[in-house]
Amino acid sequence: MENIITTFPSEEEHASAPACRVADLLLDIGTVLLVSGAHCGRITRNIERIAAHWGYQMELFITFTGMMVSIKNIAHPSERVARFRHCPLHGVHFGILTEVSLLTWKVAEENLPIDEVEKRFAAIKKIPHHSRWLVLLGIGSACACLCILAEGSRANACMAFLAAFTGMFVRQEVLKLRFNPMIAFIAASFTTGMIAGIDMVWHIGSSPEKTLATSVLYLIPGVPLINCAIDLIEGHIPTAISRGIYGGFILLCIAVGMSLSILLLGIHNF
Amino acid sequence: MSFTLSILKDVSFAFVVAVGFAILFNTPRRVLYVAGVLGGLGHGVRFIMLQYGIGLIPATLSGAVCIGLLGIIFSHRVHTPPVVFTMPACITMIPGLYAYRAMLGCIRITDLGLLRQDATVVTITAHYFVLTASLLFTLAIGICSGALLFRKRSPKSIFRRIF
Repeated sequence: MENIITTFPSEEEHASAPACRVADLLLDIGTVLLVSGAHCGRITRNIERIAAHWGYQMELFITFTGMMVSIKNIAHPSERVARFRHCPLHGVHFGILTEVSLLTWKVAEENLPIDEVEKRFAAIKKIPHHSRWLVLLGIGSACACLCILAEGSRANACMAFLAAFTGMFVRQEVLKLRFNPMIAFIAASFTTGMIAGIDMVWHIGSSPEKTLATSVLYLIPGVPLINCAIDLIEGHIPTAISRGIYGGFILLCIAVGMSLSILLLGIHNF
Repeated sequence: MSFTLSILKDVSFAFVVAVGFAILFNTPRRVLYVAGVLGGLGHGVRFIMLQYGIGLIPATLSGAVCIGLLGIIFSHRVHTPPVVFTMPACITMIPGLYAYRAMLGCIRITDLGLLRQDATVVTITAHYFVLTASLLFTLAIGICSGALLFRKRSPKSIFRRIF
C-alpha cells in the first residue's frame, strides 16, 4: 500500500471527488470487471489506480458474488466510506476488460474529472458482444480444428463443426428464454453429444472418438478455471475456491448432458 | 509429410482455434489476430517439443510460458491487457481429450459389473483426472509467468523495465 500514498497528488490539483461517489464508481467498475472474467489481481490494480488518483487509500474485499470496498481520504482521514455490492450474472467479455484498463490509465494521465469517468464507464458497459453468427462460425471452426489437432480425420472435423455449431445455437436459444445457465450447458452438451455421436454409430471417419471429445470443448469453462489457478498463485483464496467450484460445476453439467446422449445412442464400447 | 510442413499445419490450425475462442470471449476485433498468432506459436512450440520426445506436461508448460512472455510484448504494441489474447491462445492447449476420457471413466465406475470385469478402470480414470488438472494448472502458470518472473505488478511496468 505504501507506493500509493507516496504518489498521491495534493488536493488542489484535482477537482474534488466526494467519497461516496468514488466508492460507488469503484464498486461499479470492480463488479463489472469481475463478471467479465478478470482475475482479482487485475481488479485490484485497476481500481487502486483510480482511487489513488483522487487521493484515497483503498481496502478491497472480493468474493465471487459480491464486492466490498472501504476508502479513506488521505488528506482528511475522517472522511471514510465503506460500501458493498452484489455482482450481476457472470459472462466473459474481454472487450470490457480492455476498455476499462485503458480508462484507468487515462484517469491519471489526462487528469479526468469524476463526471467524465462515470460517463465514459457507462459507455463501456454498453459495448456489444460479437454478432451471434460470427460467434457460431468461430466456435464451429475452432472445434473442427481442435479435432484435426487431436489427429481426427477431415470427416470427423466436419462432424465436429456441425455439432459445435448446433450446440452453441441451442445454448444461445435456451439462454434467451431465461432458463438457468446450467440448464443451458446441459442442453448444449446434450445436443452436441447427439450430433457428434452419429460418428460413432455410423463409423464415419477414422477416429470417431475424437469428434465426441473435441466438439464439446467450446463449453469448457476455461476462463473461470484458469482464473482460479491465477488467484491461487496470487493468494486470493476465497475467489479461487469459488471460481474452481463454479468451473467444476459447469464441467459436471457438460458431463451430464454428454452421458445422457451417450446412453441414448447406446454407445457401449466407448 | 515433411517435418516443416507438419509444423506449419499445426500452427495454422492452432491459429484458427485461438481466433475462434477469442471471438467467444469477446476479444476486441483489432486484436483477434494477436490471439491467433500467440496460439499458433505456443501450440507450435509444444508440437515441436513433443516430436523430440519431451513429456506432455513440460512441453505444454514451455508453450504456455512462451505465450505468456510474448503476450507482454504484444500488449505494449497494441495497448491491450495481455489476458485478453493470452487466455484464448492458451485454450488451444486445453486437455479436452483427457478430460473427456476422465469423464467416461467416471461413468464406467458407476457400473459395478464392469468394474469387477476390469478393475484398471479406476487407475486409468485417476490418471486422466490428474493429467487434466496438471495441464490446466500449467496453462495458468504460463499466463501469469510474466508477473511471476519479474516481480512487477502491471504488464506495463514489466515492459518498461526490460526495454
